[in-house]
Amino acid sequence: MAVVANRRCVVGLCRRLCGITAMRWFTRFQHTDRQRVETHFGFEPVSEAEKKEKVQQVFDNVALKYDIMNDFMTLGIHRLWKDSLLRLMKPYPGTRLLDVAGGTGDIAFLFLDYIYSQREIQMRRELKSWQNLSWLEISKSYQETGQDLLGGSHAVICDINQKMMAFGEKKARQLGYTKGLSWVVGNAEELPFFDDNFDIYTVGFGIRNMTNIKQALQEAYRVLKPGGRFLCLEFSQVNNPLISRIYDLYSFQVIPVLGEVIVGDWKSYQYLVESIRLFPAQEEFKAMIEDAGFMKVNYHNLASGIAAIHSGFKL
Amino acid sequence: MLGLAACRTGRRASAVTRRLLHPAPHRAAPNPPDPTSNKKCFNPELLSFLVCPLSHKPLRYEESTNELINEELGIAYPIIDGMPNMIPQDARMIQKEKKQEEPEQSQH
Repeated sequence: MAVVANRRCVVGLCRRLCGITAMRWFTRFQHTDRQRVETHFGFEPVSEAEKKEKVQQVFDNVALKYDIMNDFMTLGIHRLWKDSLLRLMKPYPGTRLLDVAGGTGDIAFLFLDYIYSQREIQMRRELKSWQNLSWLEISKSYQETGQDLLGGSHAVICDINQKMMAFGEKKARQLGYTKGLSWVVGNAEELPFFDDNFDIYTVGFGIRNMTNIKQALQEAYRVLKPGGRFLCLEFSQVNNPLISRIYDLYSFQVIPVLGEVIVGDWKSYQYLVESIRLFPAQEEFKAMIEDAGFMKVNYHNLASGIAAIHSGFKL
Repeated sequence: MLGLAACRTGRRASAVTRRLLHPAPHRAAPNPPDPTSNKKCFNPELLSFLVCPLSHKPLRYEESTNELINEELGIAYPIIDGMPNMIPQDARMIQKEKKQEEPEQSQH
């Protein structure tokens, strides 16, 4: 019986995976004509307006348990991936960050922590050369440290989903992140910020949910300062066939079950895994970033390509 | 100033060191009148980088209605729990005449 059940499972999966190839082909032709506004919600073809609504629904449903669910789904590995993003970013005191789709604030909090630690390193270095201070310098040092430990750094979190943001803001208050953070509800495809305004634009596990990725990339380009960097952490395509098979089984058979058990919502997590499969592969996404005008675009695979960090500069 | 009084020749470097290396913990929110700590309150500093997503022009904060106003296009963006909602679909039109098709403008 178990063998039969297993086979049925595998056949179902194969059928789904064949569908994936077809959908990948389909997605290449989307967004070319704004009149024919067809896109997809998971594997289901929908209109752009419908997708927006459905994605909103998904994140409304999962907002409160989003963090717990991320930990369960990735066995906590998403935290390591976000750390990798920060290591790549290497912000310094004074850096201005825009974290798009950063509802629950994870990347912005890591950013602030990183800035604080960098500032501390800076201070240690300064102290080494400050062994013989004048009284004036000492009193000056008091004023400086009291005022701004962030050195002017600021993180703006912009997410389209109010519920996710409200949860993130509450979390920030609980964790004590009060300074250097701003929360703005906004659409990544129509960012409400000045041109040439940020040093770094990040989007972590968000861009695949956007209706018009090309437009979101153009907006990223617009709001970045010349010399600014675009960083995108997103699920990608696994390049190892063995891992790929295990990963597919896990995604389609385990994650929706976890979604049902923890959040009480199978469909939202079914959507999440389907949307991962439809997101362009590393090279294809790299080309999209280049098309938006970014230079020196490259990517780093994480865990054999389960996720990838794409990076590009506005020069 | 107390810290300064304690600083004397040999000890002054260590006092400053302590002060610099162990700054007021950022997680403790030491200043009570911090505008961002009050969740209902809008922080006007946001206006230095916020623009209308349709026209990319600066906005005005209207305290009485707690909205961000784009005078030119007649759009008011609501602020909910101190968080501005900059999604045009959620915004309110102040004057309905002319310029109904603003979304066109955002596509260069």
